[in-house]
Amino acid sequence: MSDRWLRYFELPRRDPRRDVDDEIQFHLEERVADLVRRGLTPEAARARAAREFGDTHLVRDQTLAIDQRMQRRGDRAELLHNLWRDARVGFRSLWKTPTFAITAILCAALGIGVTTAILSATYAVLIRPLPYPNADRLVAVYSENVARGYHGTNISWPDYKSWREGSRTLEALGIWTWITATLSDDATEAERVSGAWVAASLFPALGVRPLIGRGFTEEEETPGRDLVVLLSHRIWERRFGGDSAIVGKRITIDGKRYTVVGVMPPRFNFPDRGDLWMPFATDPATEVHGNRGYAGAIGLLRPGRTIEQARADLHAIDAELVRQFPNDNFGWDAEIKSLREDLVGDFEQPLKVFLVAVGLVMLLVCANLANLMLARATTRGREIAIRSALGASRQRLAAQLLVESVLIAILGGILGIAIAWWGVRLLRFAFPDQSPPFYVTLALDGPALLCAAGLTVVTGILFGTVPALRATRTNLGSTLRDGTRGSGSSTHRSRLRSALVVSEIAISVVLLVGAMLLVRSYRNLAGTSLGFDEQGILSARLTLPSARYTRAQAKLFFDELLTRLRREPGVTMTASAQGIPFSGWNLQAGTTVEGAPPPKRGEDLVVHYQYVTPDYFRAIGVKLVTGRWLTEADHDSLNPVVLVNEQMVIKGFGGRDPIGKRVRVGGDRDPFATVIGVIRDFRHYRLPQPMGPAVYYPYATYPGRQQTIVIRTTRDDPSTLAPALRAAVRAVDPKLALYDVQTFEEAVSKSLWRQRLQGNVLSIFAALALVLACTGLYGVIAYAVAERTRELGVRMALGATRSNVLRLVLGQSGRLVLAGIALGIGAAAVGVHMLDSLLYGVQAIDPATFVAVPLLLALVALAAALVPARRAALVDPIIAMRGE
Amino acid sequence: MTRPTDLLQGTLDLLILKTLSWGPAHGYAVARWIEQLTGEALHIGEGSLYPALHRLEERGWVESSWQLSSTKRRTKVYKLTVKGRQQLRAEAGAWTQFVDAVYKVLKTEEQPA
Repeated sequence: MSDRWLRYFELPRRDPRRDVDDEIQFHLEERVADLVRRGLTPEAARARAAREFGDTHLVRDQTLAIDQRMQRRGDRAELLHNLWRDARVGFRSLWKTPTFAITAILCAALGIGVTTAILSATYAVLIRPLPYPNADRLVAVYSENVARGYHGTNISWPDYKSWREGSRTLEALGIWTWITATLSDDATEAERVSGAWVAASLFPALGVRPLIGRGFTEEEETPGRDLVVLLSHRIWERRFGGDSAIVGKRITIDGKRYTVVGVMPPRFNFPDRGDLWMPFATDPATEVHGNRGYAGAIGLLRPGRTIEQARADLHAIDAELVRQFPNDNFGWDAEIKSLREDLVGDFEQPLKVFLVAVGLVMLLVCANLANLMLARATTRGREIAIRSALGASRQRLAAQLLVESVLIAILGGILGIAIAWWGVRLLRFAFPDQSPPFYVTLALDGPALLCAAGLTVVTGILFGTVPALRATRTNLGSTLRDGTRGSGSSTHRSRLRSALVVSEIAISVVLLVGAMLLVRSYRNLAGTSLGFDEQGILSARLTLPSARYTRAQAKLFFDELLTRLRREPGVTMTASAQGIPFSGWNLQAGTTVEGAPPPKRGEDLVVHYQYVTPDYFRAIGVKLVTGRWLTEADHDSLNPVVLVNEQMVIKGFGGRDPIGKRVRVGGDRDPFATVIGVIRDFRHYRLPQPMGPAVYYPYATYPGRQQTIVIRTTRDDPSTLAPALRAAVRAVDPKLALYDVQTFEEAVSKSLWRQRLQGNVLSIFAALALVLACTGLYGVIAYAVAERTRELGVRMALGATRSNVLRLVLGQSGRLVLAGIALGIGAAAVGVHMLDSLLYGVQAIDPATFVAVPLLLALVALAAALVPARRAALVDPIIAMRGE
Repeated sequence: MTRPTDLLQGTLDLLILKTLSWGPAHGYAVARWIEQLTGEALHIGEGSLYPALHRLEERGWVESSWQLSSTKRRTKVYKLTVKGRQQLRAEAGAWTQFVDAVYKVLKTEEQPA
């Protein structure tokens, strides 16, 4: 390769082989001639010469080897020398045109920076293997009920058992479910940690073994034998000081004594950042077919089996289950997907959009750089012509220009890496809690840097080659003869530049449309009327250990805690619920309305229900529509009273007044409850999921041990109440640990992080695109004006007014802008459907967006063109015609 | 072919540098000069002159150019460089010291105390 590369730079080369042959030949012939002169016969002379010389082949080979070595070394030196010289010349010429240099370098840096950041995020999320040894064969199994529109829902243990025993495609399957537990010892402060109940088969399926100790056995999946626990490396080090003798020791969890059987390896996480795991033990409630109360299962595909095969396999088992248990299993199927898709599925579409967007930005950057280089080549036309007249070969000139653009790309690349580093940091902070989940390692590491380097080189060559070749194709004579800048010969070049500007504008249109749609979606989501008042509320969760609290004691505890809190200055109301809005807490059950005809199979009424204290809705600012609120007096658990929401009125009562009617949530053994009031619907689920029917019971009728406390305050920052809240809990029971302490506002805003991120990223890209396109347009028009100065001067001398000239120049820009906008709208109309699944409350072909974007772009673009146009209009005809 | 290459190599280099110190010459001329001056005393395969010359060139002690010979043939002519001249001086000095030392030993009749 070095040969061809060199020939690009230099003259035809010497052939060392021929040289060596000639040299030896000359020696032998001279010797023969000498000997003949001394009287030998030619034959004898030749023989003697050859004898004296020795082995000609050997000599030739040795000599040639030395020459070739010498030549290679020389070539390298020369290449380096040329490169160094070009780089120096390039540096000098960039230094002399700082505006051009800075524009070009910034442009390259922005392109390389954002592209590298997005590519490294894509790599981290979609390509880097999950941190489990068996990552590529792991599948996540959930339940789905297509008819009712349920996807990725919890599973039931009997279903899991049937899948596990019946499947021929899965090597292993392990059920799990989320838990949180309180660690408490006398020595250290109580602490709330999360983790999971896991089947003994689950961690082996992941391919992970404990660092010390052992995993669970199947025998430990039975009640009574399940008081064993596995710890995370994290908590083992932090709370237990990395005690190497911890295996076999007993620790207190939720008031019960558990034996530590092992510690998992560092950086092991399951299902999210879990810190402790206990065996999944079954009891009679677990074994009920309709009890879909467990998060899911993780399976390991047999080698060579696909997810499709596993799905067919499990669905066959489901069909059999429906036959056997029609009441509990009708409509329910296993939902199976790769673990990666399960974990990062939500990120996939936004990332694809980002990739396309960043690709467009990169194209824009290249177009812009090419444009800048072309414009520069125009002004340097004479310099190049003179240099080539003085003997510089076309190759040398092209190499010089190419080195210059590579230089810009390298400088841009270095700056770009800094931008990418910053971008990756921003992306990391964009995740909720300021840190991405464990399976996303966002970092500017090897692959990302490699990509930045690749981009740098490609950019340099891409935008350097065309201008380099074009510039050096200059017809020597005409450029020199011309004397003036520009007439005929440069129209070709300006046409190319116009085409570049048109495509730049088109790309900006596409990006702006995309950005606007995503921003509007986010605005729509953020602006959704939530139905509750998220300001001025602090919330926190608390779980009482069943070992120390009966339900009655739990009620006393919470009553006392809420009373204490109500005495805090600035607190206006306190309440508790099982799950607050946006927490993801969601219990649902089949519901019967008294007197209503039995529903058809698969169409039964499923409602969200929970137990709340009387003040809960008033505390979170939900309005009562009809009827009355719950009171402390509503504690009759045999004939309970309930509140329902408007959805429930529509779905359950056909829109008729429900007050006084009775509903039953759950099975035949559950009591009927009388509706005493209707509250406004509010967004309990995370946006954009709409609210469904809901029934709310008084807490007093069935006091739970796990409640979320809600405090309404007049303080500006509700989080300032946190210390008082902790103190109050400690005062009532020091062995309890509060968790999920956050304001409602945080909870709401956190839940929209992905939509916000999408809007922000695309807005940044669109803004970049707009700036780049306008720089491009400005450059083209400015150079066109500069080239036409003389012509404009003549026009003005012949009577054209300043406004004529202004109109002339603006007209030229207008044509480019219009062409670009038309092209861009066409492309956007097609490409925008990629966003479909990310949009909320706005159509892909959104008329407002498709009108606003072109208008905005046209305005900004014409402003960019106005500067050079004004300059043209102010041209003094005398100077223009006289000057060069 | 077996010959004491190492010794010969260094010596050959020295001889070549010396002959070139009288002025530029092509390989054949160098061979003739060495033959004339040493007679049959140093019998070298003349061919080995060429790798030696090229190696000297590689080291920068001599430089070469293609010229037309008196017989109008294309010939490669070698010329001592400044570096080569320094090298010659250094090597000649070392050689003389070496020879003196060996000579002194050979001349001594009595066993040293």
